Amino acid sequence: MPGLRASPPALLLLLALALPRGSLAVQQLEPGSRSAAAAARVALQYRNFQAGSLGGLRALGQVRKATLKNIPESGHKYYLQFSTEDYRTGEDAGNCLATVLFPKKKSRPVVSIKCSHTKDQKEIQEEDNKFYQRIRHQSKPITASNIPDSYGNIEPALEPVWALAVAGSSSIMWEKSTETLGYFLAQVKSARQWMRKDDFIEFDYTVLLHEMPTQEIISCHMRLTWLPGQPLKVKHFCAPEGHGAEQGSGAESGSAAGPAAEKGASF
Amino acid sequence: MGEPCPPHPHTHSGAALSLSPVLWGWFELRWAQGGPWGHPACGGAAQCHQTCSAAAGPAGLAANMKLILIFSALIGASLCLETFVGHQVLRIKTKNEEEVKQLQLLESLEHLQLDFWINPSGPALPVDVRIPAASVQSVKAFLESQGIQYSILIEDLQDVLDKERQDMAESAQRQRSTSSFDFGAYHTLEDINAELDQLASEYSFVEKIQIGESYEKRPLYVLKFSTGGSNRPAIWLDAGIHSREWVTQASALWIANKIASDYGTDESITSLLDKMDLFLLPVANPDGFVYTHTSNRMWRKTRSKIPGSICVGVDPNRNWDAGFGGPGASNNPCSDSYHGPSANSEVEVKSVVDFIKNHGNFKAFLTLHSYSQLLMYPYGYKCTRPDDYAELESLGRAAANSIRSLYGTTFQVGPICSTIYQASGGSIDWSYDNGIKYSFAFELRDTGRYGFLLPANQIIPAAKETWLGLLKIMEHVRNKSS
Repeated sequence: MPGLRASPPALLLLLALALPRGSLAVQQLEPGSRSAAAAARVALQYRNFQAGSLGGLRALGQVRKATLKNIPESGHKYYLQFSTEDYRTGEDAGNCLATVLFPKKKSRPVVSIKCSHTKDQKEIQEEDNKFYQRIRHQSKPITASNIPDSYGNIEPALEPVWALAVAGSSSIMWEKSTETLGYFLAQVKSARQWMRKDDFIEFDYTVLLHEMPTQEIISCHMRLTWLPGQPLKVKHFCAPEGHGAEQGSGAESGSAAGPAAEKGASF
Repeated sequence: MGEPCPPHPHTHSGAALSLSPVLWGWFELRWAQGGPWGHPACGGAAQCHQTCSAAAGPAGLAANMKLILIFSALIGASLCLETFVGHQVLRIKTKNEEEVKQLQLLESLEHLQLDFWINPSGPALPVDVRIPAASVQSVKAFLESQGIQYSILIEDLQDVLDKERQDMAESAQRQRSTSSFDFGAYHTLEDINAELDQLASEYSFVEKIQIGESYEKRPLYVLKFSTGGSNRPAIWLDAGIHSREWVTQASALWIANKIASDYGTDESITSLLDKMDLFLLPVANPDGFVYTHTSNRMWRKTRSKIPGSICVGVDPNRNWDAGFGGPGASNNPCSDSYHGPSANSEVEVKSVVDFIKNHGNFKAFLTLHSYSQLLMYPYGYKCTRPDDYAELESLGRAAANSIRSLYGTTFQVGPICSTIYQASGGSIDWSYDNGIKYSFAFELRDTGRYGFLLPANQIIPAAKETWLGLLKIMEHVRNKSS
């Protein structure tokens, strides 16, 4: 059809006009950039929670490639390629490709992530079963505090309890993260097991999260259940920031403010 | 009684014959009564010196003395193996060959057990001799009777040996102490301060000085490394300004010991300290540090009371006079990044500011934090590049490469604002804007797995790799500070 054949440039122009302005704004980020690393961390927190595996927990290695795209009316979307390490041993655990969308409206980041692995699934499953058995074999409910202790020690017997806390708190950290606020697990303040009639493991935790860049220490309460091969179920409530809770360098005396409704709380 | 005598280079092994006090007394008495050998002679007391020289002819008295000495030595041997109590060391100044011959005679009397440290050979040279306690008086009497001048080098040899043994024990104790201080462990403030004292006492070029007091009146101790000169160009290094960052105070101790013990053997450290002074503040926030031990391991700020607030403490790295009160610091007293009521309101900050200003010759300002593994230069309070951006970036990269060379630990390099976050009132911004070009802030291990609770077995690796980075910067500063 002669009319169409003659008008490709016009078509392109139409297309360009039809799309909202700035939607093609794409920015290459330095692999060493802070925001790229923060976004990669959020992606891993999401994965560590979703995978429901203690043996498969990963920490961020190095960001290899990072791109930032502004999606109008939606938010900022990061495209990332990064290496990972085994959370416990620090050994190379493989690479990941991920996208992280920080929505304009205050809600949790939207993450898609796919990773290669150096350990095969069977190996990870075996480790999970070992962790599971170590907890199940206790005759009495496990209680513990300060993991690691002030000197960075984690008692070998408490390693499964710690790993479970890492997996569970990852859900809290992922949900709370924004493009400018990131989280690290500073310490497991307390852990208390609830015995169940079924095969699930259930724990109550108080965890301290280190918030960046504010440097605040946030205290969160977490109740979780776990069975190897099943997704983790986590309910959490974090103390309101800035006043009352003396976890970081906040108030001197006890909490004056009562627990306020906190976004993301799901009790 | 069971203790062997300490070995001494000049000691004859075996028994030294000496006369028991009773027998000696008897001889003195006989002498005074004009004894069988004729002329009363001095009992050896110093006060007789003049009279003795004048009274009796040299030859006759010498012969008498000889016999007396022989007798006293032969009679009443008492065993003295273990101590040198009462032994004296005399320095004898001979005036002529005659006197030298007298001393050589004395030397030949083996039973006297005289121990010549410098033997009589010629009139020009002094003769040093150790004399067992029982012979002291008689030898002195002999010398005096001959008019031979002497002085007492050592009044009581045992005293000297005791002191020497004590010194050695103390030194060994010190050796044990500095080598028994576990640099691979976390310590209390008391233990750290004790170790600072150890280092200062063990190394002559290390001095502990106090530059001020914390809010709760704890001393702010700085180790000064100086091999001489007067107000040499200097390097500043501090740690622990944020008290929960325990790997920094621990690393600072290791670094202090490293510098002190390797000066003189390590080429780099030696050439550095031969040109420049180093001032190291290992615990910049002692109140906070104590609080992390006693109450709250996650405490970051100082412990100052804030007027009108129930909250305590100021973020000491938001309190410097550099973009004070700007973005990246909170005006909420309950916040962990509260900048404080005004710049330098915190005495911990003001003390450092005053010290550095008064010194006037600092060329580098280096500060340790944790965690994140970053190596940063100004600015934090604004996101524009400093004038010396190119040089600082290049030097930072070189330092990061040095760090990585040891264990593969990677540190990101860049200005504070883009590398970590915009933050106002920071120390290296202040130092840079006050003419100290080489201003760097380190964030040590790790990247979040343990965070502030870095296991102690990582202290020394962290300190070692960090030291390589610091040294790289210091070498550059030294080269530029001719």
